[in-house]
Parts: sequence; C-alpha cells; structure tokens
Amino acid sequence: MGTATGIIRALNSGIKHLAVKRFTLRYPEQKLKFVGDGYQFDPTTGVGIAGYKGRHLLFHDKCTGCQLCAIACEGVAEAIGMVKVPEDWKHNKKAIMPQIDYGKCVFCGLCVDACPFYALYMTNDYELSSFSKEALIYTPAQLQVKPEVQQDAEIIIDDRGAYHG
Amino acid sequence: MSVPLPPGLQLEKFEEDDKIMTLNVGPQHPGSGHMRLIIRVDGDYIVSCDPDPGYVHRGEEKMAEYRNYILNIPHLERPVIHDSCNILYPYVLGVEELLGLEVPERAKYVRVIAAELNRLSYTLYWLAIYGIFLGHSTMFMWPVGDRELAIDLLDKLTGARVTHSYFVPGGIRNDFPANFEDVCIRQVNYLKKRLKTYGDIFYDNPILISRTEDTGILSREDAIRLGTTGSVLRASGVDFDVRTKEPYDAYEELDIHTNVLKKGDSYDRSKVPWLDMLESCNIIKQALEKMPKSGSVRVKLKPNPKGGDDEVYKRVESGRGSLGVYIVSRSKPEPYRLKLSVGSFRNLICLPYLLKGEKLGNMPAVYWGLNYWPVEADR
Ligand code: SF4
Ligand code: SF4
Repeated sequence: MGTATGIIRALNSGIKHLAVKRFTLRYPEQKLKFVGDGYQFDPTTGVGIAGYKGRHLLFHDKCTGCQLCAIACEGVAEAIGMVKVPEDWKHNKKAIMPQIDYGKCVFCGLCVDACPFYALYMTNDYELSSFSKEALIYTPAQLQVKPEVQQDAEIIIDDRGAYHG
Repeated sequence: MSVPLPPGLQLEKFEEDDKIMTLNVGPQHPGSGHMRLIIRVDGDYIVSCDPDPGYVHRGEEKMAEYRNYILNIPHLERPVIHDSCNILYPYVLGVEELLGLEVPERAKYVRVIAAELNRLSYTLYWLAIYGIFLGHSTMFMWPVGDRELAIDLLDKLTGARVTHSYFVPGGIRNDFPANFEDVCIRQVNYLKKRLKTYGDIFYDNPILISRTEDTGILSREDAIRLGTTGSVLRASGVDFDVRTKEPYDAYEELDIHTNVLKKGDSYDRSKVPWLDMLESCNIIKQALEKMPKSGSVRVKLKPNPKGGDDEVYKRVESGRGSLGVYIVSRSKPEPYRLKLSVGSFRNLICLPYLLKGEKLGNMPAVYWGLNYWPVEADR
C-alpha cells in the first residue's frame, strides 16, 4: 500500500468515527448501573453472590461480635476495628461490632467471606470521599444504613456504536 | 566540604569526553513509568542505555511470607492492577497443587474468561500509552474508551473495576451474575469490531510504520539468548505461548492461535499484542460456548489451610509474557518463600541492546514496545 493511500485510509477511519456515538459516561450526571445489590457471601455454600464491592453494610441484628472479619482484615489492610455499641443484643454479649476505616480499606471483600453469620455485605456505594480522615471511619451505626445509589446508565450497543444511556 | 559519596550512591557520572552527554529519563514519570533510563547520547544517537528499575519496590515477596494463602490474594495483585487476574493466576494454581485441591470444571472456564478480559483491558491500556508515546493522541483516546467495555464486564463479574481479588485457591469467589453471557458476547463482539478499526488508523498508518519499522531489531537468536518472553519473543519469530505450550486450566480444551511475527522490530512488537487481543476475543467466545452451564465454582476450604513440605512452580501467560510463581511450603499456613518471576523484568534486559546506535527520538517506541510495566518489574 502506498503512503498516500495509507494516510487517506487513516484519515477516513478517523472521519468515519465522527458518526459513532460518544462513549463517555457523563459522571456525575450519569452513574453506572451495577448488577445486584453489592457483593454478598453465602457461608453455607462457600460461594459469593456477584455484585459491586463498595461500602459495607452491617446487620446489627445478625452480628455476634465474633471478630472474624477483623481477623481477616488484619492480614489485608487493618481497616476493621471492633468497637463497643450501645445496644443490647442477646447474640452479642460483648456488644462489639466492626468499624471500618475507608482510608485503609481496599475493597477486597475478604471480610464478607469471613463472616459466618450473614451479617456483613457490601453495597453499590462508591462515593466515599470526604474532607477529613476522621470522616472516613464508619461506625457500626453508619454501616447499618443502606445507601441510596443513583444508577441510571449502562452500556448500550447499537448500529451507531456504543454509548452510556 | 565535598565528601565523596560511596560508590553505590553516585547518581551521575560525567564522561571525560565532552562529546558524550548523559541523560536521565525518569524516574519522575515523563512517560518512563517509575523507573530511570540512564542514556548516553552522542548528538542524536544513543551510545549506551542503562535501565535503572527499583523505584517502586514493594516487597511483595517478603510480605507474602507473613500472610496465609487466602490473605495473600489482595496484595499479590498490586504489582499490575490492570492485569490483576493474570498475576494471581500462577499463585492460585500453585496453592491448589500444594493443598491438593480439585477445581470445579465451571470455575476453570470462568477463570479463563476473567483472565482474557483482563488481558484485553491491560493490553488496551498499554496500547493507549504506546500511542501517546508516539504522539498519536487518537490512539490514546480510542483504546482508553474501548477498554471500558472490558472493564465493565469485569466489574459485573468480579465486583471491582481493577483490583478484582477474584481468583482464590479452589476456584473463584462468585459465579456469573444473571444474564452475563449475553452481555459478555455482545460487548466482546463490539470490542472486536472496534479493535479491527485500529488497523486503518494505527497499524497500517504510514506514519507509524515509518517511525517504528526497522528500529530496535531483536533477532530470533538474541530474543532467546536474552530470555525475553511474551509479545517481545513472539515478535522475533519464536512460537512460544504458555497457553498453548503448557496449557493450564481450561486452555487445554480451547483452540488458540499463537500470533508470531518475523522481523523483531518495534513495529512487530507493537502489533503482536493487538493480534493477541483479537485472539482473546475468540478465546472468550469459545470458552462461553464450551463451559458447563451450571455447577459449583469453588471448593470449600478449611480456615488457614496448610500445605505439606513441598515446592511448586507454576507459570501462566500474562499480558506481558510468561509469569511464574514459585512457592516453598513448610507445613505452615503461610508460604515459607514466594518468588515471582515476571515478564516485565525479563524483557527489560534487552533494552540496552536494542537502543544502542538508535536515534534518541526512537527511544519511546522501543522502550514501551517491550511491554514493560515498572511496578511489576520491581515487585
Ligand atoms: S474489604 Fe478487605 S480491606 Fe476492606 S475491610 Fe474488608 S477485608 Fe478489610
Ligand atoms: S460482622 Fe460477621 S464476622 Fe464481623 S464480628 Fe459481626 S458476625 Fe463476626
């Protein structure tokens, strides 16, 4: 192929691209849709349930304060500390529950795999930035709240190309 | 007061002959990655090049000695976060052999799919940087955009966009989400279509060809002698791919074509990864067809599993070439010693040979054509 034909073909391919829809996701107006409600783990079968690994969700009515999640995280990021909660549960005599420092967490989800009581899941919430390091430490009370996540865009592919919509 | 620095700390040596000038490329990441190339130039021509890696050493191997086989997973994938499934692969295979685990058939296929998607996302990232190194900014934008298709699939499958922590000894963390096969086929098909358009704008583009053809030629003999691997080796005419030569997991049952080019110049080295990406799309489609439609994906492990007094070495084909892990176990829950043998470090050694006598302007094309990832090389 000659140099001129090559250059024309290269230009042509760029010009054809003008007709292709823009692929960019317009964050924060658009936010990606995820599958499911976040990563979960089923200790009886030993297999997880697919989902996004975002901020954790703690069920106070299930957590026994067994610390297995903190032990798992010890070898990963040391993000989990066990703290006293001012609550009275029959199954949690010591009244301790995990508190997670998102300045350290790497969102591996191994703490979820370690919890044998279905008490710790992950959610689709990924917008955790804050102005101070202290605000990144989520107490058991904060972890209990199920986040509201806007999810409205997914990849659509049609004959004009792929785009987020 | 001039105290002479001890020999190991002397950073710069000025040549006696003032015709030769020393140039430091990096380590402040002007496209070199976190590493330094000490280049001596005579006018526009490179007299010698001395790669100086080690700025992002993280002590992965030492860290692995203090964590059990499961907790090693998140930190072992950090050296190449864009290719995190592939860097975990040999580790997981090795631990499975140590612990005597039999992986479910379905998990083998899902692993292959995840590994190939990861190869796609890594190679597209690499290609984007290769493009921008040569001043071709379209070739930066397109791969970065199209990479999103692969990342989106990995995100759906593993729950994270880059550091997936998805493979575990004994299988994978979770099965496919609902409807994943259809979405995967659709996006991979589209990605393949997009990849083909790169031919016109980049690989057949006379400007790219004139910049990269016949620069930094690595002959077949040298490629073997220097112990290069992956796309560098295949661009020099050696038919070697761990996926076909020593197939692991489900690669045995798949039909894989190895892309081999003859010349061994920068152009061939940039083209082999592209051809590999097209092949990856085929592998994903084959694997989706052949995989068992249901079944378990993970064997249950005891907490803190222990291996015997044993050693294993496993290797896989990563985005940058063969990637091996050697594990020594001494009947403890932690490995006694873990050694990573990475493709990047092995490819770096040919850089002084390739750059000798080359023009300085060709340095980026030759350097990044090696498919080198500084963090992986330093571990
Ligand atoms: S996701 Fe990983 S890093 Fe984060 S708290 Fe759980 S175990 Fe620790
Ligand atoms: S979250 Fe689970 S693992 Fe952690 S303390 Fe509560 S019950 Fe135990």
